[in-house]
This record gives sequence, C-alpha cells and structure tokens, in this order.
Amino acid sequence: MTAAIDIRGVTKIYNPGSNQPVKALDDVSLTINDNEFFTLLGPSGCGKTTLLRLIAGFEQVSGGEIMLFDDEIENLEPNRRPVNTVFQHYALFPHMTVAQNVAFGLERLKKPRPEIKATVERVLSLVKMKHLADRRPNQLSGGQQQRVALARALAPSPKVLLLDEPLSALDLKLRQAMREELKQLQKETGITFVFVTHDQEEALAMSDRIAVMSEGEVQQIGGPTDIYEHPLNRFVADFIGDTNFLDGEIVDLNEDLVTCRIGEQSMFEAENSGGHRVGDRVTLFLRPEKIRLSTPDDAVSTESRPGTVANIVYLGNQAAYTVDMGDGVELTAQARPREDGKLPFAVGDSLAVGFSARALRVLAQ
Amino acid sequence: MSNWLPKSAAGRRWLGLAPSYFVIGIFMLVPMVIMGVFSFLEPNPYGGVKPVGSLDAYVKLFFEYDLEDNLVFNPGYLNIILRSFQLSFGATLLCLIFGFPVAYFITLQPENRRNLYIYLITIPFWTNLLIRTFAWIIILGRGGVIETPLLWAGIIEDSLRMMYTDGAIAIGLTYSYLPLMVLPIYASLEKLDFRLLEAASDLYANRFEVMTKVVIPLCKPGIIAGCILVFIPCIGAFIAPNLLGGGKKLMLGSLVQFQFASARNWPFGSALSMLLLSAVVVVLIFYARAAKKREAMEGTA
Amino acid sequence: MSSVPMENTTSPRKSKKALPVGHYRGLASWTVVFFVFLYLPIVVLIFYSFNANRMVMNWGGFGIDWYIKAFQNDDIQSAVWNSLVVATVATVVATAIATVGALVLARGGNFRGKTISLGLITLPLMVPEIVTAVAVLIFFAAIGLNWGLGNVIIAHTTFCIPFAFMPIRARLEGMDTSLEQAARDLYASEWETFRYVTVPLLMPGILAGAMLSFVISMDDFIITLMVGGAGSTTLPVYIYSMIRRGLTPEINAVSTLLLLVSIAIVTAYWIMSRKTET
Repeated sequence: MTAAIDIRGVTKIYNPGSNQPVKALDDVSLTINDNEFFTLLGPSGCGKTTLLRLIAGFEQVSGGEIMLFDDEIENLEPNRRPVNTVFQHYALFPHMTVAQNVAFGLERLKKPRPEIKATVERVLSLVKMKHLADRRPNQLSGGQQQRVALARALAPSPKVLLLDEPLSALDLKLRQAMREELKQLQKETGITFVFVTHDQEEALAMSDRIAVMSEGEVQQIGGPTDIYEHPLNRFVADFIGDTNFLDGEIVDLNEDLVTCRIGEQSMFEAENSGGHRVGDRVTLFLRPEKIRLSTPDDAVSTESRPGTVANIVYLGNQAAYTVDMGDGVELTAQARPREDGKLPFAVGDSLAVGFSARALRVLAQ
Repeated sequence: MSNWLPKSAAGRRWLGLAPSYFVIGIFMLVPMVIMGVFSFLEPNPYGGVKPVGSLDAYVKLFFEYDLEDNLVFNPGYLNIILRSFQLSFGATLLCLIFGFPVAYFITLQPENRRNLYIYLITIPFWTNLLIRTFAWIIILGRGGVIETPLLWAGIIEDSLRMMYTDGAIAIGLTYSYLPLMVLPIYASLEKLDFRLLEAASDLYANRFEVMTKVVIPLCKPGIIAGCILVFIPCIGAFIAPNLLGGGKKLMLGSLVQFQFASARNWPFGSALSMLLLSAVVVVLIFYARAAKKREAMEGTA
Repeated sequence: MSSVPMENTTSPRKSKKALPVGHYRGLASWTVVFFVFLYLPIVVLIFYSFNANRMVMNWGGFGIDWYIKAFQNDDIQSAVWNSLVVATVATVVATAIATVGALVLARGGNFRGKTISLGLITLPLMVPEIVTAVAVLIFFAAIGLNWGLGNVIIAHTTFCIPFAFMPIRARLEGMDTSLEQAARDLYASEWETFRYVTVPLLMPGILAGAMLSFVISMDDFIITLMVGGAGSTTLPVYIYSMIRRGLTPEINAVSTLLLLVSIAIVTAYWIMSRKTET
C-alpha cells in the first residue's frame, strides 16, 4: 500500500516567542494510505483542524515533515499543493455562480476552456447540482452549498481531498444522507479523503481508519471496530460511545483473566490484555450495551449479580438505567421498552445484572 | 407631562422633523433654487443681478464675444473645467492606490490595534484643512522641507519649483481626502471572510490572483464609495488649488469663488455652481444604480 | 486523476518561510509611508511654529515668541471669540434639531417620506461646500438679511445638522428597544420612559454628535469666507488672510493651537466611545 500522506514528527506552536505560546500539535506522526477514507476525530481544540490546515498549507509547521506521495510539501504555499479542501462553512465565493466557483481551480491551473467546461459539468452532475449551475451561493440551501463545495474541491482532481467538518452545519437528516454519499463519492473517485470531525458516529460510519486525537497528540489509530472495541486508553474509550468505568486494584490474575477489587470488596473479572501485575491500580471499562438486565427470577446466567434501579433516562427507542450494585458501585445499562411501550423496570426495582468477563477490559491508567 | 405632544404618530413625526425641514429647507434647498434662478439672469456690474432673463452665463462657459460682437468659441473656461475633472480623477486614483493597501493592512491587524489605526487616520480629517494645506507650502515651497536638504547635499542646484503646479494641487487634494478613501474600503474589507482567501489559495490561485479574483471584487462597494467620497469634494475644492496652485492654476471651486469675490459676475458663478452640482448628481445616480444592480445580482437569500 | 502539477521541491529548506495566505510583503512599510504622508504636514507645522526667525522657511533657532505675539494680537483674539460663539451656538441648535429628527427617523417606523427626509437631512454632506457657500451667500443677499455673525451662525447650523445627526441615529439604531418596553411594562409613563431610559442611553450619541458639530464648525473656512462679512471673521478666515499677507511663524503658532484643540476634542470623543463600548 502506498502512503498518500506521511506526517513525520509534526509540531505546531502558535504565537511562538510570545508570552503565551500554544502547542497545538506535539510531535505527531501518522500515515494515510492511498485511496483511503481517513478520519481525524477528537474534541474541539485537539489539533485535528490544525493538522488539516498544515496539510492544506494554510499554516506553517513549527517542526517535522509532511510528505505527499513522497514529495515534501510542508514549505509549499497552498496553491502549490495538489490537495483541495472542503471548508467547514463551505467558503463559496459569493460573487460567482456555482459553475464559476467550480471552474475557479481549473482556471487557475490554466486548463483549456473546453476541458474546464466538460469537467465542471461532470463534477456538478456527480454531486447532482448540474441544474443549479447558474445560481449564486446565497440562493442555495445549506445542503446544496455543501454539494457545490464538494464539487469545487473535486474539480481539479486533487491527490488528496481534505474535509473540515463539512457536515456540521447541516441538520440531522441531511447529515445522515450525506454520510452515505460522501462514502460513495470516495469509492467512485478513488481519491484519498482526509475527514475531520468531532462526531464519533460520523467517524465510525464512514471511515476506513480513524485517528483519535486529544491535546495535540494522536491517541490511537485503527479501524472503527478496533477503536470502539479495543480502545487503548481511557480517553479513547470515553470519547467514543457510552462507557462504564470502574477504578480498582488487581488482586489476582491468570493467563485469561484478571480479578479486580472495586470499591470495598466487590470483585470483577476481566480479560487479561497482558502486562499486568497483582497490586496494579487499573480502570475496567464495560459498554452499557454489553450488560443484560433482567428480573431476579428470570436470571439465567450464573454470572449475574443483584442490583437496584437508581435512575432512568428515557430516550425513546431505549432507556438508560443507572443501577446501584452496592458497595458504591454504579453501572449504566440499556433496556428497550416493551412492545406496549412501557419500560420493563421502575426506580427501586431489584434486578439481575448480567455481563460476561469477556466484555470487561482493562485500560492503562 | 407629555400632554402637549400631538396624540397621533403622524403628528409627532411632523413635529420631530419640522425643525430639520425648516432649517435645511430654508437655508439650503431654497438658496440652491435661487442660485439656479440667478444663473439665468444678467449680472449687475456692482455685484448681484439685474432681474433680466439671460442665457449669457451658460453661453460664457464655451463662447466669448469678439470685438465685433460675434460669438466665438473660447476654450478657456472649458479647459479649467476639464482640468478640474482630470485633477479630481487623478487625486481619486492616487488616493485609491495609496489608501487601499493601508485599509487592507489594517484589516489584518488584531482588533484593538485596528481601532487605533482608524483613529490615527481620522485625526487629520477632523483638523483644519486650511492649516494642513498651508503646511504643504512649507514642505513643497522654495527653500522648504524637501528642497533644503537636497540643496544642502548638492543633489539639486536650483529650486525644484514644485509649488504652483498641477502636481502640487494633486498632492494637496490627495492629502486632503485620503481618509475618505481608506475608511469605506476598510469597512467593506472588515466584513470580508478570510476563509474565502484560503479557499482561493487552496484552488491554486497565487497571491496576485487571490487579490484580483477574490478580495477586490468582494470589496468593490467600498472602493466605489471611497472613490465617490473623494471625487465629490475634489471637484469643488477651493483650498488646495487656491493655496498650492497659487491662483493661476484654477479649478472649478476656485473659479466659482472668484466670480463672487472679485469678478462680481454672480450669474456666471451660479452657472458654474449648477454645473458642479450636476456633476455631483450624475456621480450619485451612477452610485445608486451600481448599488441597485449589485443587490439584484447577489439576490436575496 | 493526477492532473495537478507538483512544484519541484528539491530544496524546500532554502525557501523563505512563506507568508500566511492573504498577507503581502511590503504592506507594513507602505502603511508607514502612508502615515508619514498623513502626519508630515502636521509635524512640520508644529515644528516651524517654534521658529524664532521672522520668515517661516528660514530656521532661526527655537523660540516661543510667535505664540506670545499671537496671544497679544487683538485681531486673533476677536477671531477666536467669533469662532467660539459661532461653534457653540451652531452646535447647540444643530444637535437639538438633529436629536428630534433622529428620534423620528430611527424610531418612527416606516412612513411615507422617510427616504426623502433622510436625504434632506444629509443633503449638506453631499453638496460641495463651495456650492453651499455660494447658495447661502446669494440667499442672504436676495432677502437682504445682514446680521453679521448671525448669518454665519445660520449657515453653520445648517451644515452641522447631518454631522450631529449621524452618530445620534447610529446610537438609536444600535439601542435595544426592549429596554423601553421593559420600562413601560414597569409602569413608567411615556415621558418617564423617555426621560429615564431613552435619554440616558442616547447621551453618548448626542455628545458625539455635538463634538463632531463643534469641530466641524470650528474648522470651517470656505462657507464662512463667503458668507461672513467684515467683523465676522472667524479664526480660519483670519489665518487665511494672514497666509495671503505673507508667511510668518505666527500663522504656525495660531494654527498649532487650533490643531491641538481639534485633536483634543476628537481624542476625548474616541476615548469616551471606547469606554462606553465595553
């Protein structure tokens, strides 16, 4: 597999030399493969947009190298880099029509007129906007502007397409539809997409690989399932999906399992991911959807423990239950409403709480 | 307390606007109408007019009577009018070239520093124009601030004779109205979305193209407003041509003043004023048209 | 798909650090030149006002003789007095007229004739000064009004109205009408609302308008020159007559003082407006 983009030890410091330098990126290294849908995921201020802007050339690196298909590009001006950007708020030129916007890059590249015309038509039909070619941006809806922004960035056939939270300004329904389309567009064009978002759902749904970032550092890189099921640390586990965290100490372990004491005397078993010793302080994590709730009589599993419903948050298609397990331990679990729409349990009900040791994982502190 | 106020909204409106209508109507609008009437009367050689209708004032713009009382074309006044336009265009262009980069530079600064720059630009504007123009005599004049060091260093041997030239007038006009160019351009640049510049540069526009294809088209309203704000006072300028042109290099404004102060030809002065006024009206109509067209082009969203 | 040209990057390290997008080399130096151009005359004027020589251009050492001379000059004293009287009266009247006008135009909703009213009030800004001057001169001559300084005051009041009007209207349009509604809701009568809510909130705008009017009136030259007869000489007109008689540093001394007054007023306004913003 060839690398489309190779980030090598890139550091970015804003206001260097001032009394308040801000380190936005700290020695970041990562490789983005050719023809890949790669996502930079993280909360605001984690450095993901900075990294994208460094690749696009809007900012200068403070240290490190950026390779684009084996060419060093970090000192080139943006107009010398064969990458294009879809901006968060689209940044369409208000004084030009849709067609003029899309033709802009091709004109700057001094393409022959017939070729420009043909490319503009092709790209506009690709995003289903050909019928609005003569409109101006402020005559378009948000979704339409989004498509024009995509078409404009795709028209010059960039080696890599950079997308800076392009869906954040759209409403929910449109956002979900655009996810599919973006993924489809990436497959059709074969262009490497680098997608920046803070929305974990978006990242999981579209990406081939995801880099989770926090405080200017890459926390984990992997496929969507890797990231969700095997987070490397507490930040990743917490940022993606809902999670129960249980802090405790290892009291026993064998090849398969570690046994941890949580609270005063509650014992929990979890998968042994290796490298642990008795006496280590660790955090166990357990996804709510891996917990089965049942009434004590229905309990089938020997692994189940007793608990009491402490609080319920109704979410429509399901309800989030906070279950008091005694000994100061609380777990969040999910249950679907019954067919008649009523919730299966009420506050104060006694429950059997079941989960397997394989669902519990040990995180590095 | 407010019983004396009219009850109806229309009545209050009238009451509030009446003083403005009265003062500006009586002392501005009516005088201009009277001026228009005067331009069609015959001059009284001791100042004022004789109540006799005449087109002489307008004829005088282009013709004169020779010794045998025949009308012959006289380009003298026409030349002054053309020169006024040329100098005003020139000064407007200079203001644009000089002012645009500065307005742009200010936009790039952090916000608190921007206010300071704007304040520094407006300060000279609020100070007395006559005084500031007078200072240019000290700068440009014989043995002035520019010449003295050059003479002393032996770079020049004789006076540069910068005063009393069209160049001196153009410098004076540019200097007088420069802030009026910078401020509206700055106002429109300040609203410019800088991400559009990044987008252009991302789409392979070089620095020059970013400027010509994105920045300038988008701040065109500011540029046009600035040009008009500079051009209008230039075309009627009196101080700069009078002090720096030395009275020999006349412009429309000083020509008008001359008709009232010395030549005592009020109808001709009024006709010249009407000409000036119509030039302004033409410029303003052009501006209104351009604004309307832009509104229509950009549509409503 | 790879139709985009790639810059040859054999020696990227050698290239100068690129400027951020939208920044251009030379802008800062251009701005410096701009400000030198803008302030050079003012600096020169002040500098030469301390010239001890009788000729402006020939530097004869430092001295404040010309300031003393200017202060002892009776003509200058009366010109200053005239200027102050004209500016004060014109400012008070123009600001009052502009305030009620702005209240109607900013708060009166949309009504027929609004655009025309706006046009009329800002008319003095659009007409070239020399035309205003000539028209008013003709008008006074035609109706035979000859009140000396009174004529000058009337003319000044007229062209000061738009200068007072603009900041007041801007302030009114930036004001939150819900504050007045809140006052009415809290049982304030219409007058009480105006007196205790609208006026205090509008005060910065009124002050700004008054300051601008005062400065504009103090600085006016061409209209006063045309309209004012003998005995109604204001300071700028007097300075003009001095210039015509011959250049002495006394002109610089008087001019410097007038300049400093204007700068002081505008600076006070600027500082005040920044304070009220925060």
